[in-house]
Amino acid sequence: MINLEERVVEKKSFFKRLLIVYLFFALIFIFFLQRTYSLQVSEFNNYDLAALENKTKEVLVQPIRGIIYDRNGNILVNNVPSYDLIIKPWQISNIDNFIKEISLFIDLKQSEIDFVLENFKQKSRYNRELILKKDLTKVEIARFEVRSFKFPNAFIDERYSRKNKYPQLFSHAIGYVGGVSNDQLSTILEDQSLNQDETVFRYSNGFLIGKTGIENTYDKMLRGLFGKKIYEVDARGKLLRQTDFIQPINGDNLFTSLDLDSHKVAFEKMNNRRGAVVAIEIESGSIVTYLSTPSFSSNDISNGISSKAFNALLKDANKPFFDRAAQGRYSPASTIKPAIGLFGLDEGLIDWSFSIDDPGYFILPEDQRVYRGWRKGGHGNVNLNKAMIVSSNTFFFSLAYQSDIDDLIKHLSNFGFGRNVCIDCFNPDIGLLPNPEWKMNNLNFGWFKGDTVNLGVGQGYLSVTPLQLAYYASVIANKGSHKKLTLVENQVPKILENLPVKKIQNSDWEKMHSSMIGVIDDPQGTAKRLKDLKTYTVAAKSGTVELVSTETKEDYRIIRENEGNRDHAIIIAFGPMPEPKYAVSVIIENGESGGSVAGPVAIAVLNSLIKK
Amino acid sequence: MKKKINFKNFSIYFDQYLFISITLLSIMGLFFLYSASQEDLNTVIKQSIFVGFGLMLMFAVSQLDPDFYKMSSGLFLVVSIVLIFITILFGKEINGAKRWLDLGFFTLQTSEIVKIALPIFLASYLYNKPLPISPKHTFITLILISFIFFLVYRQPDLGTGLVVFMAGVYILFLAGLSWKFIFTSFGLIVLSLPFLWNNFLQPFQRQRILTFLDPSSDPYGSSWNITQSKIAIGSGGMSGKGFQEGSQAHLNFLPEAETDFIFAVIAEEFGFVGVCILLSIFFFILLRCLYLAFNARDRFCRLTIGGLSLVFASTLFINLGMVVGIIPVVGMPMPFISKGGSSLLSFYIAFGIIISMATHKKLMQK
Repeated sequence: MINLEERVVEKKSFFKRLLIVYLFFALIFIFFLQRTYSLQVSEFNNYDLAALENKTKEVLVQPIRGIIYDRNGNILVNNVPSYDLIIKPWQISNIDNFIKEISLFIDLKQSEIDFVLENFKQKSRYNRELILKKDLTKVEIARFEVRSFKFPNAFIDERYSRKNKYPQLFSHAIGYVGGVSNDQLSTILEDQSLNQDETVFRYSNGFLIGKTGIENTYDKMLRGLFGKKIYEVDARGKLLRQTDFIQPINGDNLFTSLDLDSHKVAFEKMNNRRGAVVAIEIESGSIVTYLSTPSFSSNDISNGISSKAFNALLKDANKPFFDRAAQGRYSPASTIKPAIGLFGLDEGLIDWSFSIDDPGYFILPEDQRVYRGWRKGGHGNVNLNKAMIVSSNTFFFSLAYQSDIDDLIKHLSNFGFGRNVCIDCFNPDIGLLPNPEWKMNNLNFGWFKGDTVNLGVGQGYLSVTPLQLAYYASVIANKGSHKKLTLVENQVPKILENLPVKKIQNSDWEKMHSSMIGVIDDPQGTAKRLKDLKTYTVAAKSGTVELVSTETKEDYRIIRENEGNRDHAIIIAFGPMPEPKYAVSVIIENGESGGSVAGPVAIAVLNSLIKK
Repeated sequence: MKKKINFKNFSIYFDQYLFISITLLSIMGLFFLYSASQEDLNTVIKQSIFVGFGLMLMFAVSQLDPDFYKMSSGLFLVVSIVLIFITILFGKEINGAKRWLDLGFFTLQTSEIVKIALPIFLASYLYNKPLPISPKHTFITLILISFIFFLVYRQPDLGTGLVVFMAGVYILFLAGLSWKFIFTSFGLIVLSLPFLWNNFLQPFQRQRILTFLDPSSDPYGSSWNITQSKIAIGSGGMSGKGFQEGSQAHLNFLPEAETDFIFAVIAEEFGFVGVCILLSIFFFILLRCLYLAFNARDRFCRLTIGGLSLVFASTLFINLGMVVGIIPVVGMPMPFISKGGSSLLSFYIAFGIIISMATHKKLMQK
C-alpha cells in the first residue's frame, strides 16, 4: 500500500495524465468535426453531384434516320416498322416454362430461344428488356394480343428497319446502312457528349450507320440526336424507376437531286450489263442519275443477309458491289477528242478550216511507228468538224503530236480529269491523268512522243471514271464553265469552275457543239443510229475502248471470242440543243460499240429527263 | 447526480446522467438502424432486444461493489482468455476470420470481453504500486498486454486488437508509467515501423493503409468503401436528406451501412446539424466520465473509470476516423449505434462498471 502523501501525488499525476489523454482526444474530435464540416459544407456540391451520379443511369434512346427523297419528292429510302415480341426477364420466374407457353401459339426458332436463354440471367438481374422474336406476322401479333393478359411480362413493340423502296436502283448512289464499330459509336456519341451506355433501340438491328453512298456522306445529318431515359439505379446497376425522358430528335430528311424515273430507265436499258450511267443537270451541277450495274439489293445488306448469299455476291465475277460510276477506271477513248480539238483551237495549233489527209494511220516521225485509225483506208481529207463526226484518229494523232504535253495535261485537268469533280460523292476515284513525272516514277520510263500521240485519241495511260466523263460532257455543254457535282442540294456549297481559255471563243464552242450534233445527225456520224430514238437534237461523242490491241478485223474477231477482251462501249452526250439541260455519260464494259450500244442507253436517259 | 438511493435495507447505485444519455443514444441508434437496414424491422427488433437487455445488464452490473471487481478481475481475465482460445479453436469462421463463438441464441465476439477484462485486471494489479511504476511491473504489464493483443490479432481482428492494446496502455499510463520509459519506447517504435510493416501486417492490411493514403488509386477496389462513405457524408450537406431518404444507403452504394459505416448513413440523412447533435451526446458522456474519474473513491476506481472511458472514446474515434477517411478501414463499430450484439453489450457492461466505480463510496474516503 502507498501512504497518504504518495496518494495525493498519485491523484495529481492521475488527473494530469487523464487530462492529457482527454485533450488529445479533444484535438482529434476537433479535427474530425473540421473534416466532417469540409465534406458536408465546403465540398457539399461535389459530393452531392457524386451521389446523384451514383444513383442515376442514363439509357440512350435511338433516333430514327431521316427519309431520303428524289428530286421530285418521291421517297427512296424509308423506315419501315416491324413488330417485335419483347420480354421483361425480371418478371419471369421460369424462362423454360415461359418459352414453352409462348411456343404454343408463336413459332420460335431454336436460334431465337438460344439467344434468350443466353442473355436471360444477366438482363433479369438488371431489369433489362430482351427481344424474343423479331418481325412478327399479323397472325402472330393477333395471337399474342388475345392472350396478352396472361403475359404481363411480355409485350409487342414497334421496331424499324431501313428500307430502300428501289433497292437495286440506288444501291451505289444512296448506299446502305450497317452495324457500328465501337470506335464509330464513341465518335457518334461524343458528337452529343454522351457516354457509351445502354440504348433503347428503335431499329431491329440496333445501332445503324451509313456505310456507303449518301447514307455515309450525309450520315451525321440523317442520324439525328439520341434521346435519354434517366433512371434511378442501385449500386448493382438495377433500374428502379424512370425519372426523366428526353425525346430523341430524329434525323433530317434528305432531298437528293437523284431522279427516280431516269434511274428506272437506265437500269432497264443497262439490263444488268456491266457498266455505269451518270447524268447531270448542267445548270446546277446536280447528279440526277447515278447507276452502276449489275447491282444488288441494298436492303439485304442493311437488314441482314445470309452469309451464303453475301459470299455469292462477293464472288460474283460481275462485281455487283463495285461502284463503277465513281470508281470504275476506263480509257475515255474517242470521247476525249472534243477536249483535244478544243486544245488545238485554244493553242492556235489548228483552226476550223485546217485540214489534213487521213490515210487511216499516222506515222510517228521519230521512230516510224504506225498508229492506226479505226477505219482501214482512212477518211480522206478531214478538218476538225469532220474528224469529230467520223472520229478520225489520224487527225487527233497528228494534233496531239504537235501539242506540248504539259499544256495538254493542264488542259485536260481543267475538264475534271485526274481530280475529284464531286463534292459529296462517296469515295470517288480520281482516275489517272498521266504526265512524264508520273511515268518515270511508276513505270521507270521517260515520256515518249508516242504517249502524247496516244493521249490524242484517249488511249494509253489516261483513265477516267463515268462521273468524270459526265462532268466533262457538261463542261463542254456549258461552254467551259461548270459547277462541281453534287448529289444533295442546299447542303453543300456550289463551286463554280471556269475553264481558262486563250483563244477559244463562243463561236468555237458552238462549232464544237454542232460537230458533236453531227456525230448523231450526220449520215457519216459514228452514232448515226441514235438519230431516230429522239425528237430533239443531241450532241454526243462516242468511243470504243480497245482492251486488246489488234492490227486487223480478223484479229479482233479472234480475240472477241473471249467476252472479256471485247472493246468497252462508251458515249458522252448532252441535249436538248442548242440549250442543253442534261449531260450524260454511259459506259458498257465489253459492249463493243460506243455509238450503237452505249448510245441508246444515253438517249433513253436523256429522253426520260427531258420529257419533264 | 450519481448517488446511491437508500430504500431502507438495500441501496440502488445509479447515475442518471449516464443512464439517460446512453438510453437516448441507444434509442436514436435504433432509428438510425431502421433506416440503415432499409426499413428492416427484424434487424431493429433484434437490436432493441439487445438494447433492453443491455440497459438491464448495465443497471445490474453497477450494483456490484468495486471490491468485487477488484478481487475477481483475475478470474475474469483468465475466463476471457480461455474464451478467446476456444474461439480460435472452435469459432465460427466468417470472411476468413474466426472471431465469433456460436452460443445458439447469440454469437459472441469474445475479443469484446477481453477489452473490458484487461483494463480492470491491470487496474487491480497496478493500483497499489508506487509511483512511478517500476520497470519490473511495467515489463510484466506490457507482456500481458502484448500477449492478449497477439491473441486477438491472430483471429485476425486488428481493430479490436488495437483497442485492447490501447486499453492496457491507457491503464499503464494513467497508473503512472515513467515518462522516461514512454519517450524511449516511443522512439523505438518509430524506428521499428518499417520492420512491423514488412513482417507483421497482412497484405490486405497493407493494401488498406495504402489505399487510405491514396484513395483515388482504385475507386472500385479496396477504397470503394471510403469513397462511397465520403460521398454519403458529403452529400448530406448541412441539414441532410431526411430520415430514410439517403440514396447512398438505400441504393446499396454504402457498404456495411448497418455496422461500421452507420455514421455515414446518419451524416447523409441528418447532415452536419445531426452529426453535431449526435456527437454532443457522446461528448457529454465522455465529460461525465472525466468528472466521475476525478471523484472516484480510490485509485482502482479512478484507473478503471479512466481506462474504460478511454476504451469507449478510442472505439468511437477509430470508427469516426475510418468513416470519414482520416484513418484506414479497420472494422470498428460505432458504440451504442452500430448493429451487433457483442460490442453493444460490452459497452453496457463497461458503463455498468463505471457507474459502480463512481457510485460506491467508502465512508473512510475524503
